[in-house]
Amino acid sequence: MPPVVEAIDLHRTYKTTTGTFRRRSLEVEAVRGVSFEIAEGELFGLLGPNGAGKTTTIKMLITLLIPTAGQARVLGRDVVEDAHWVRERIGYVFGGDRGLYERLSALDNLRYFAELYGVEPKQQRARIHELLELVGLEGREKERVEGYSRGMRQRLHIARGLLHDPPVLFLDEPTIGVDPVGARELRSMIAGLKAAGKTVLLTTHYMFEADALCDRIAVVAKGKIVAEGTPRDLKASVAEGVVVEIEVYGIEEEKVEALRAIPGVTSVAVEDRDQAQVVVVQADTETEPTHAVLARLDGVSLGRVTTREPTLEDAYVALVTQE
Amino acid sequence: MSARAIRLARTGAVGWWMNLKMVSQSAFDGLLAILWPLFFGTVAFFMFRAGGDPETLVYASLGAAVMGVWTATSVPAGSALQRHRWNGTLELVVAAPTPFSLTLLSLTTATSTVGIYCMTATLLWGRFAFGIDVPFEDPVALAVAIPTTIVSIGLLGFLLAVAFARYRTAWTLGAMLEYPVWLVGGFLVPLSLFPDWVRPISWLLAPTWGMNAIRDAATGAGSAWPDIAMCVALGAGYTTAGVLVTNRVLAAARRRATLSLT
Amino acid sequence: MTSLRIFAVGGLISFRALFGFMSPWIFVPTLVVTPLFQILLFAYIGRSAGIQDDAFYVVGNAIQYAAVPCLFAMTFTIAGERFNQTLGPILVSPARRLPLFLGRSVPVIVNGAFVAALSLLLGSLVLDVEVPGSAIAPLALVIVLASASCTGLGLVLAGIGLRVREQAVMLNIVFGLLLVFTGANVPVDELPAWMEATSRLLPFTHAIEAARELVAGGTLDAVSGLLVRELAIGAVYAVLGYAFLRFMERQGRVHATLEKV
Repeated sequence: MPPVVEAIDLHRTYKTTTGTFRRRSLEVEAVRGVSFEIAEGELFGLLGPNGAGKTTTIKMLITLLIPTAGQARVLGRDVVEDAHWVRERIGYVFGGDRGLYERLSALDNLRYFAELYGVEPKQQRARIHELLELVGLEGREKERVEGYSRGMRQRLHIARGLLHDPPVLFLDEPTIGVDPVGARELRSMIAGLKAAGKTVLLTTHYMFEADALCDRIAVVAKGKIVAEGTPRDLKASVAEGVVVEIEVYGIEEEKVEALRAIPGVTSVAVEDRDQAQVVVVQADTETEPTHAVLARLDGVSLGRVTTREPTLEDAYVALVTQE
Repeated sequence: MSARAIRLARTGAVGWWMNLKMVSQSAFDGLLAILWPLFFGTVAFFMFRAGGDPETLVYASLGAAVMGVWTATSVPAGSALQRHRWNGTLELVVAAPTPFSLTLLSLTTATSTVGIYCMTATLLWGRFAFGIDVPFEDPVALAVAIPTTIVSIGLLGFLLAVAFARYRTAWTLGAMLEYPVWLVGGFLVPLSLFPDWVRPISWLLAPTWGMNAIRDAATGAGSAWPDIAMCVALGAGYTTAGVLVTNRVLAAARRRATLSLT
Repeated sequence: MTSLRIFAVGGLISFRALFGFMSPWIFVPTLVVTPLFQILLFAYIGRSAGIQDDAFYVVGNAIQYAAVPCLFAMTFTIAGERFNQTLGPILVSPARRLPLFLGRSVPVIVNGAFVAALSLLLGSLVLDVEVPGSAIAPLALVIVLASASCTGLGLVLAGIGLRVREQAVMLNIVFGLLLVFTGANVPVDELPAWMEATSRLLPFTHAIEAARELVAGGTLDAVSGLLVRELAIGAVYAVLGYAFLRFMERQGRVHATLEKV
């Protein structure tokens, strides 16, 4: 079976200008060679921190951006050459408050988008009501969107994306800013989409979300894919190893570098937690780094020191922070 | 008519209706849209009254009525794309299979339709505050001339909206054209008063012909039909030019990644 | 910070903020092209109706259009603070209010006078209107006074603007009222009695009359009475505006509306 979505060495550069009088133009490479394939019925995750290039990648796939280099295909057709054909078969849902007509009711919003996305007039009414029920908004569809909460808007977005029953869905951070209960409902809806046979590309920076929902994940950092595989594969890649967490109250960069230099250490990251910082040192199983680490931290105020097994989150942090 | 044409017409109509709903909802904006041409009309009425020729008052009343339609269209047209961008809906609409020019066109014709309120208010104001009685010599021609003028103004608005799409300050350019079209369209001033080189500019503007048509139909001073025909022809011209420009603007936006930038 | 420093520094920063926002792409269409076309519009209507002369309309509209920079800039300077949510921090500061608000009005007055002067110049050039050389300096004075007087009104509107959501609508309506009532295009004595009475209470009316006399060859002495009246009107608005802003500030603290955009 041919893949439903193909990204082939995608590149995208942005030109921005700075300054008012002496305009300088800067080139930012947001996506630097991203390739992956999504099979039919798969729920594929693009996981990465903000600014990694996930949204840019999605926008190239949904025909909103032309790649600076590389190719993308959806259902076998090129997204640049056959944009119109592709648009009829994809759904796009993104997180946040925008993207709806505030002054119109939810029903009117759906009617309008149904028309724009080419849903047959005879089927529009039934389809809209079916979707309102699916996302749990029936009974509130006559209210104006300006009164909707973030969670409700997200659900309306999903309904909108499904209006023309597209076989492929692109979800860009759909649960961002939604309260935990609402987010959980949204996630079960997304799982339901896969169960209905749709192919889904999901971007997110929530690891547990990718872990819970996706069949396969690609970890993106600084415009490149740094790891790809099933959640289990990714966890396995770090299952060996040990993580030492040391609470510190201020640490200099040289000390952090010194820690990185310890043989066997695979990554060192410094996180802010409450009043202090935590230095997270990952090392392979051969090493027992605690002594070496504490020795290098001589002179730094220390708090608690804990040793534990790595989690998927550690794998993720290690992947996205390495140079 | 092919199935596709029917489909496009329906989509355009639904778009027009939805946009009309959205535009009609702000009571304050509506108030301003109606009051604004009244201020200028009032001044014009005083001036023409002092001038002593009652026929000019009738012309002024009709002129002020159409001024409202132009204002209702030109000012939002400049900022149409920008507002869509801020709203986050620009991308969704561009990513849809419906041609973007159709979506934009239904937006600008909806704003010019709101101009009907302005027209009515201005004519009523002229009648009750200044005693200006506007005749209806040729009601059939009038019934055709008014919607034709409104639609062709909406189509000119569409062309403006895309022509100014590149500029982040497009709203100022749209607003800047408010007075010039009032002037050069011959709404309150006969075109014969202007230097010759202004004439061709007036002729390229559908509002000029629409204004003529409405005047002729109301006062019976001439036949409105040739003017109506010119209006339709220009409207078609604006649409063609607008569609071409839209496609180029969108292609450039996709290459330069300017669709979502605020 | 002493009052003088608050006045000067606050004014300067506000000036930069105002002009930082004003790119040429906004300034030229809104404050150069549009007033010129307003002048042309009414001059041609005048020609069509066969009344007055071009000079009448050039002066009237050049000054009346200053309402745009004066009213809008003043309101947005204050409302802009509210939008950026800097209004709260400013009002919480111990800075004295009078130099604070007055300092902010200086760049607005300067801007307004500049726009009026430019429109007057361009309008005269395009329509071939003669302005006697002796009138130039007195005209400059009249323009500054007119701008100051309207900015006073701007302070009042700024206060109202703090409570109202649709400020642009309010400002456009006031602009329209000034167009009709100030004699910009219709001599005030030709208006119905109640309108004439109202116009004598508004900014611009006396300044426009004075400016027309100066362009017709009158002396500064002859129009000094008008100028005093214009200044007085502006001062009354400024005092009202200031009082109103203080009141709104107190209301805002009582009802927690300061930060509501």
